[in-house]
Amino acid sequence: MATATTASAHARAVRQHRVLRSLPYLAPAALLYGIFLLYPMIDSVRLSFFSWSGYATAPQEFVGLKNYRYLLTQDTVFWTALRNSMIWVVLSVAIPMVLSLLMALALNQRIWGRNAFRSIFYIPSVFASITVAAIWRWIYNPTMGVINQALEAIGLGDLAHEWLGDPRTALYSIFVASVWQGVGFNMVLFLAGLQSVPAELVDAARVDGAGRWQVFRNVTWPALRPTTIVVVILTIINSLKVYDLVVGMTGGGPAQSSQVLALWSYQQSFSNHNFGAGGAVATVLLILSLCLVVPYLAWSMKGDD
Amino acid sequence: MKTTLTRRHALGFGSAILASGALAACGRQGGGSSGGDADSLTLWLGALEDSQRRDIDRLVEAFKQANNITVNYETHSTDDLKESMRQVSGTNAGPDIYWYWEGPGLGGDLVEAGMSLDLTDYYAQYGWEDRFTAASMAGITQYGGYHGIPWTLQAQGLYYNKTLFERAGITTEPSTYDELLAACDALKAADITPIEFGGTVNWHVMRLLDSLIETKCGADVARSLVTDKTGWDTEAGVTEAFTELKTWADKYFNSGYMSISNDDSSLLFWDGRAAMALEGTWFNAQCVDNGMDPQEVGIFPFPTGTGRLYGFGEGFYINANTPKADLAASFLDFVTSAEQMSGSGGAWAAVSVNKEVEVSQDNPLDALWPPILESSEEMYNNFDQALGLDETTEYWRIQNAVLIGDMAPEQAGPAMQKFIEANS
Repeated sequence: MATATTASAHARAVRQHRVLRSLPYLAPAALLYGIFLLYPMIDSVRLSFFSWSGYATAPQEFVGLKNYRYLLTQDTVFWTALRNSMIWVVLSVAIPMVLSLLMALALNQRIWGRNAFRSIFYIPSVFASITVAAIWRWIYNPTMGVINQALEAIGLGDLAHEWLGDPRTALYSIFVASVWQGVGFNMVLFLAGLQSVPAELVDAARVDGAGRWQVFRNVTWPALRPTTIVVVILTIINSLKVYDLVVGMTGGGPAQSSQVLALWSYQQSFSNHNFGAGGAVATVLLILSLCLVVPYLAWSMKGDD
Repeated sequence: MKTTLTRRHALGFGSAILASGALAACGRQGGGSSGGDADSLTLWLGALEDSQRRDIDRLVEAFKQANNITVNYETHSTDDLKESMRQVSGTNAGPDIYWYWEGPGLGGDLVEAGMSLDLTDYYAQYGWEDRFTAASMAGITQYGGYHGIPWTLQAQGLYYNKTLFERAGITTEPSTYDELLAACDALKAADITPIEFGGTVNWHVMRLLDSLIETKCGADVARSLVTDKTGWDTEAGVTEAFTELKTWADKYFNSGYMSISNDDSSLLFWDGRAAMALEGTWFNAQCVDNGMDPQEVGIFPFPTGTGRLYGFGEGFYINANTPKADLAASFLDFVTSAEQMSGSGGAWAAVSVNKEVEVSQDNPLDALWPPILESSEEMYNNFDQALGLDETTEYWRIQNAVLIGDMAPEQAGPAMQKFIEANS
């Protein structure tokens, strides 16, 4: 018993020593993180309890929960933005993830033009979102856009539509552009994950008579679990903070129908000069992000430590 | 199977990205430019057309030749200028002089924030009151005192394609609202798109709504709506204006207007695919630059029946924090002198704010504006300059909700009043 206690104390001392030795290396990054991320984040939460126009010369007036009460009961845009953000998260987890996994599985095979296809699918991820927005705005142009022109050309002119100008289709039209841009990046992550699938296990399963689906379900998919966790987390986070594509394609319109939380937070703060309300939206977004991501992480990582 | 990503790693990873993503955009930021040395001034401007850049270079060089003072100017896009001014408030990082729009929602916002120096003493010293037109001075004195110096007065009206009007059998410019509607119907009957708008920039269609409110409510009520912020829910003219807006959109706008910007929709006018455009004096140069024969273009004011003209002013303001106010005032005196403004031609506006400057002969369209300006003693401002920033955002939401059929016209006024009261 005494020996075990001594060993445990020794291990603890070693760990503490390692922590102390690593501190000088961590300090610069921690300092930058604190100044540029933690401080603005905490300050935003603080501002959500104040009324402030953003001008340094203007006073910050403490208003308690007024901004949150306004947000929940009187803000004409908040609930639309919340609903749209949730729709975006659900669609992003469902559609691009499945697409990117299928593409990765296909391009993990030894097929002709494999590298070319990988590059082609990945290239949109390299484009700045505002460029993607400009490209797709032209594609959706009601008179000169390729979609409506193609529909006219094949005799389906009745289906030609004002894709970004109709509140029923605006959000989903932006989402299509988002899929086009983002699916290649997830595909690359899945491709990297597929390289770690043990070939001997796949071979053993095949020798045991497993079909393609059984190999995928019982060998490949479990091996992809860490990658899937990363992809899901990144997808949820990127979905919640989607901003630039919406700005570039509709600006949140028409009539705020494609508004999302991140953009509404920005517009309240920087366009309307209402930093209290903007901070409140951002805080709701933070809480929402934590509520969605942390339980998933905890569940996914259960038993890994 | 052993995974390479542990729960602790993943939690840390997720938290870090969450932290950076969710809130970082809302922190305070610094920035701006310093005032420089005693022999220089800093000047912030909005985005410039080529002709405007050439002219500001000319003015800066002439001022240096005359006074040996260097003026360093920076240009900013519309949103960037607004944001930059907010960032430098209360600091010494701002410019000595800044160009900005007038009106309570824009220039007035900076006046309220204490960023504009009251120039009353300089107006007396330089005799500026006598230099500028009465209409342009109204935008300077609207906040009390003298904030800024007039630079442009941008009037807006209906530009029309004479050929398309003739093809539709329209022989005279509409002078009443009913005549305007009749002209639209005639154009429609001739299979011509009566008017073009781009809906992705909310302020483009807003010009029509502002003018319809002026038409249907009359000058006194329209003024009261934006200054007293009352009557949106009680004035019948408000509902009539929104009803008319919906009718215009359904009958007279270019198809697909809600999906395109004003730049895209302007092409329809320049290419002869739409008969009218509701634009301002800056459109003169754009018409010519985009290949229109100016002789084929006519201009008439939106026939509101109130006698007021639609427009807004832009001016130069002296930063309240600058230690070089005297030098800044001497620069403003220099660039707004009759001699220097005559040299600007039509680069900034069709008609100069300086009483002594003749209309430029460079662009025939410029000559169409003086009679229109002289016919009116008062202007009604674009509502995005007259309303507060958040009120403007809501005004646009309601406008677009009516346009797309999400809100009935009779609900629009009460919705606006409700917002105003909730945020007052």
